Amino acid sequence: MSENDYPAVLPEQGDRSRGVIALLESNCTVCMLCARECPDWCIEIEGHKVTTPATTLQGRDRSHNILDRFAIDFSLCMYCGICIEVCPFDALFWSPEFEYAAPTIGGLTHEKEQLGGWMQSVPIEARGDNDPADSASDQR
Amino acid sequence: MAISVELLFADQLLRPEPAPVRVSVTWGRRYTLWVVGMGLACCSVEFIAGLLGRTRVAADSDLSPEPGLDDAHILVVSGTCTDKLAPAVRRLYDQLPEPRYVLSFGACASSGGPYWDSYSVTKGVDQLFPVDAYVPGCPPRPEALLQGLLVLQAAIATNDVANVPAFQTQAAVLARPLVAPPTSPRRNIEQP
Amino acid sequence: MTLRTGAVRTLVECLVETLADGVVRTSVTDSPATVEVQRDRWVDSLSAAHGAGAHFFDFLTAYDELDQGFVVLVHLSTPDAHDHVIISTRVARDDPRLVTVTSVYRGAAWHERETHEMFGIEFVGAERDDPLLLPAGFGAHPLRKDFVLAARVARPWPGGVEPDEDVSKRARRRPLPPGVPADWPRLEGGETP
Repeated sequence: MSENDYPAVLPEQGDRSRGVIALLESNCTVCMLCARECPDWCIEIEGHKVTTPATTLQGRDRSHNILDRFAIDFSLCMYCGICIEVCPFDALFWSPEFEYAAPTIGGLTHEKEQLGGWMQSVPIEARGDNDPADSASDQR
Repeated sequence: MAISVELLFADQLLRPEPAPVRVSVTWGRRYTLWVVGMGLACCSVEFIAGLLGRTRVAADSDLSPEPGLDDAHILVVSGTCTDKLAPAVRRLYDQLPEPRYVLSFGACASSGGPYWDSYSVTKGVDQLFPVDAYVPGCPPRPEALLQGLLVLQAAIATNDVANVPAFQTQAAVLARPLVAPPTSPRRNIEQP
Repeated sequence: MTLRTGAVRTLVECLVETLADGVVRTSVTDSPATVEVQRDRWVDSLSAAHGAGAHFFDFLTAYDELDQGFVVLVHLSTPDAHDHVIISTRVARDDPRLVTVTSVYRGAAWHERETHEMFGIEFVGAERDDPLLLPAGFGAHPLRKDFVLAARVARPWPGGVEPDEDVSKRARRRPLPPGVPADWPRLEGGETP
């Protein structure tokens, strides 16, 4: 059994280590499936609908959702991964990052900016075609 | 029980506290961390791996195998605290001398975690006493505990040293029974 | 499930033979085999199983079948764990009383205490009936099916919000989270009681 050199050396982690959940905001359509399926009710989402008027003569107005707030309360999260599995648009990913203890319990609620930041630590093979550089909002 | 040196300083020299005294006392508190763990559930296994396993932190530290409650500075609560056990957890906190810090390890100790909706779970030990650091996870890695201790050290460093409460928990409070006595009388059952 | 063959009888066979008309139904295809007995033959059935060699008492528990009452069940086995049986009986919801089995298996005392506090089933003749796991003054029986987890009602469900819902208006009734029955008392405007 080898000696654990933390904090001098970060531990070796498996390929699909569940450390923290990362959000790729550009993929999120505010479908609310993750918030509904979370067993701990730790995902809070707020959004609003935006309507684009029709561009052709007999076309109809198009509407889509804009994400205003996406927060995960990691003090409640049990790292089951249901939110990541249920997301139909691949907006949530596992990251092996685990160093985010906080002196206040509010510090364990990560807003979408922080969740987007975790995308940098998502393993490349897990990202698929999703580029973390897109994590900045590019709302249409 | 001998009075700790830090409390002497706090009372006599720290109003107003000169900077060198504050720095040295804070330095002493940051780097003398004796941990007592209250392992309630699964997270205690990770606590054992983190502090009692073959880690650099354990090897470099002067970890007494079983620090008594009189010597402990940090209480690490690992695992689910039920409403029935809550008085015992509170009793353990009351028995620690000042300065004491609490680290809540894992989701259950921080907020109730996956059992947040249970009829019998205390939704986080911060309902019983103030917590100084929270480590998320279900369960957290042993290294996450070590990182939580680093966060706690940083929090200690910014503590106002003069704000050491000068109370000692009343002996009567510590001697209160935790469990109500049985209501029905015990009888001996005949052997079959 | 028994691994022995030949002339040695299984626990289920012993029970059926000893109790005769006290047995309501048996199932040997379940694993382990189950025997449901009449409520007034409850202690007799456990004595018969004990006499047939089931000296290991595993657990006693219950489940709630609403209008059909509570089913109390016991898992017994021989000490070599080759032969198992689950003996169950049914008690009515409006008269949930059953004789204690501590005269046969003393280890059932804590199990009966827990079943009593969780379901409200009274075990007649039990030594102690004070709560084992619940804090004093809890006042309800949590494992009954009509016990609602109040935290799911009190806390607003994050998944109950539609993406375009204007938070300030809330004209529409919010959907109920899973686990909350539809007739749970609710105040106007979806506020918590």
